[in-house]
Amino acid sequence: MPSVSLLLRRVAVLVVASALVTTAACGPLDDNGDGGDPGDQDRPIRPGGELRVALAEEPDLLDPTLARTLVGRIVFVSICEKLYDVDQDLNLVPQLAAELPDVSEDGLTMTIPVREGVMFADGTPLDAEAVKTSLDRHRELDGSARASELASVDSVESVDEMTVQVTLNAPFAPLTATLADRSGMIMSPTALAEQGEDFGTDPVCVGPFRFSDRVAQDRIEVVKDPNYYDAENVHLDQVTYRIIADSTTRFNNLRSGDVEVLERTAPIDVAAVESDPSLQLISSESLGYQGVTINVGNADGITEPPGPLAGDLASPLSESNVVRQALELSLDREALNQVVFVGQYSPACGPISPASPLSSDAAQACSEHDPAAAMDLLAQAGIETPVQVDMMIGTDAQARRLGEAIQAQAGEGGFDIQLNPTEFSSALDLADQGNFQMFAIGWSGRVDPDGNIASFLTTQAPLNTAGYSNPEADRLIEAARASTDLNERRQLYGELHSVVRPDAPIIYLYRQKNLTGVVDTVAGVEVFGDGLVRLAHAGFVEEAE
Amino acid sequence: MGRYLLRRLVESAVTLVLATMVVFLGVRALPGDPARTLAGEEADPVAIDEIRRQYGLDQPVPVQYYRYLENLARGEMGDSLRTGLPVTETIRDALPVTLQLAVFSLAVAVLIGIGTGVVAAVRRRGPAEWGANTVALLGLSIPNFWLGLMAILVFAIAFPVLPASGFVSVFENPVESFRHLLMPSLVLGTGLAAVVMRQTRSAMLESLSADYVRTARAKGLSGAQVVLSHALRNSLIVVVTIVGLQLGGLISGAVVTEQIFVLPGFGKLTIDAVFTRDYPMIQGVVLVTAAAYIGINLLVDMLYSVIDPRIRVGGAAL
Repeated sequence: MPSVSLLLRRVAVLVVASALVTTAACGPLDDNGDGGDPGDQDRPIRPGGELRVALAEEPDLLDPTLARTLVGRIVFVSICEKLYDVDQDLNLVPQLAAELPDVSEDGLTMTIPVREGVMFADGTPLDAEAVKTSLDRHRELDGSARASELASVDSVESVDEMTVQVTLNAPFAPLTATLADRSGMIMSPTALAEQGEDFGTDPVCVGPFRFSDRVAQDRIEVVKDPNYYDAENVHLDQVTYRIIADSTTRFNNLRSGDVEVLERTAPIDVAAVESDPSLQLISSESLGYQGVTINVGNADGITEPPGPLAGDLASPLSESNVVRQALELSLDREALNQVVFVGQYSPACGPISPASPLSSDAAQACSEHDPAAAMDLLAQAGIETPVQVDMMIGTDAQARRLGEAIQAQAGEGGFDIQLNPTEFSSALDLADQGNFQMFAIGWSGRVDPDGNIASFLTTQAPLNTAGYSNPEADRLIEAARASTDLNERRQLYGELHSVVRPDAPIIYLYRQKNLTGVVDTVAGVEVFGDGLVRLAHAGFVEEAE
Repeated sequence: MGRYLLRRLVESAVTLVLATMVVFLGVRALPGDPARTLAGEEADPVAIDEIRRQYGLDQPVPVQYYRYLENLARGEMGDSLRTGLPVTETIRDALPVTLQLAVFSLAVAVLIGIGTGVVAAVRRRGPAEWGANTVALLGLSIPNFWLGLMAILVFAIAFPVLPASGFVSVFENPVESFRHLLMPSLVLGTGLAAVVMRQTRSAMLESLSADYVRTARAKGLSGAQVVLSHALRNSLIVVVTIVGLQLGGLISGAVVTEQIFVLPGFGKLTIDAVFTRDYPMIQGVVLVTAAAYIGINLLVDMLYSVIDPRIRVGGAAL
């Protein structure tokens, strides 16, 4: 039975913590700003134990060929390794491949040596034929979500037992990065033959853990795989991924010890994590971006050629890039970050993360916040103010706060923004149909910048909901894809930014951080820029129970 | 009674078929395309078309409905668009969670509600009634989600005596099951307890002033006998009706409670299915919910005759 003074102290802590949580949204909190605190992840780890990880959403089918959700990748990282992976600095490194691919001079042939001595969780050995089977399935299975990612691949052949040759129909530099994601996951050919389309209900790949059980909307359990090639460095016996949708509930479960790892900690909870000695925070810069997409030419839906908007949707904003530049000038990215995300995220001006090896000064060029200049621009262009714009936003509290902050800032630059909270499924639909003026949305990000750019800015690309079309941008995107020279690609992306920025089909505003909360008794958790929580070397520290 | 039951069962079947039709058309009238939602970030139009074809969403609605009924007749509700797991299996996993939560909450509501209601009626204008009224008012006015969050802050974080989340089946480990369900059922039960208390109190007040109570007292029965055997028993008719009606509310209230306490129950399943436009799952949960409502109504009607033998279901009531 705790003493009275202890009780009082606990109540006091509780009151202060609640007050912090409720006031966190109102003002900037102290932020150390380094954004790279890895927590103390190097302490000695004891073998065994079950680690519980709170996921923000329910993953979809656990079939690497058919899977589509970001959250699914967090589970895959434990059970399905890929040909390539990224390291802490986002450099591509071999995982199930023995080395980085050998690309022919014309960029049309890629030779991949397969790692020796590797077994799938069911004991099937990994060889070139298994790699071919998986890559072919990714490319050809009905409903494959990988087919478009591997569209540049013409054929896959196993040239000897441990070597695969990939022939491309055109040079495509981002392919190695593509093979560092689900397209590079290799499935057990034995399990594929046995299970066919039901592979996702009991996936078998190579990984530190193997799939054990799944209860819909509740949990996914994976257990240590003794067949794993690096099993001696895997400490945990089991990882249970628990699905906890609400961010407050997720955080409460971390504090109460009902989970040990919290994926995607809400920015307003960061102060509480940092002030709690029993918790640690791992923070890494994300590869994606968030911003507003402006409908500049998506008149008849995403599958139709872009054209001028008609009716209520037409506005100076869609018609003139000067108006869009004025809008960008009126937005204060740093203030947005402070007000909405308590300074936990980073301002962003373009689609490429500064953490990417392909980033450059040119790719990070940015306009300064200047509402007076925005008003001047509008006046010079003879635009009547305020410019009325309708902006589609999400329905959660954070989306509303962001919407209101944008509304207030744009108001100073001569814009009258109406907020239109729309449920996510409906919003995606309206965006695809071109039935919107402005949409606050972002992208989770890919390792190769092409994944953040080509689908959004190329004319008639599948995610180009802005309806943007600029032949010069198309040319630069294509050139950057085809080049195998890192420096040349970096330069091309810089040039691309300078071409797209004045058109402002997307106003990039901020980049999220991967904020992972971990209890103090756990070490070895790794989170890189891709946001995946890597647990291969995680475990409970020795002094812990 | 037999004929009455049969008639009610036929009516129920018709209602269910109508419900499937309404839901089937209703979910398709919702804005938002399940294929697009499912495609998520990988929104390639070719991939979206492929998803539509794969799940038969490219077929005309009557054809889709016919296939749905055909599957239903075989006891199949299709696979979830989101997880690929069979809908029947998912519902079978989720239903016991919500049922256990509902039973526990109902027990909380009935115990607290009837107890305080009786006390409030018997000890009128005293501290007991004020106390009971205050509890009722608080129960009615405190939102579930707030109460839930506060309960977690106090009993799981500040004084870690109960788990903040999760579910253990009562058949697996009764003690752990009770520990996991205690907070959620108290949170969910208090709102209903308040309603039950108000109803019990007013029905009891009416009964206590009735002639048969005066007669019972005149015959020399003890106060407790009068209150419990005569007044309360007659008041229960109203209370049972209210509890039956509130059960529906309990299931929708469970949605919030399940989210906060991360119970993999039916309410959470419903919400997630709607947000991800998981058509087969929405159809499955609505069908099961409709069947449950119809079943509960039937049960309440049957209970009337048990509590008050003067009521004869299907026949002329006296």
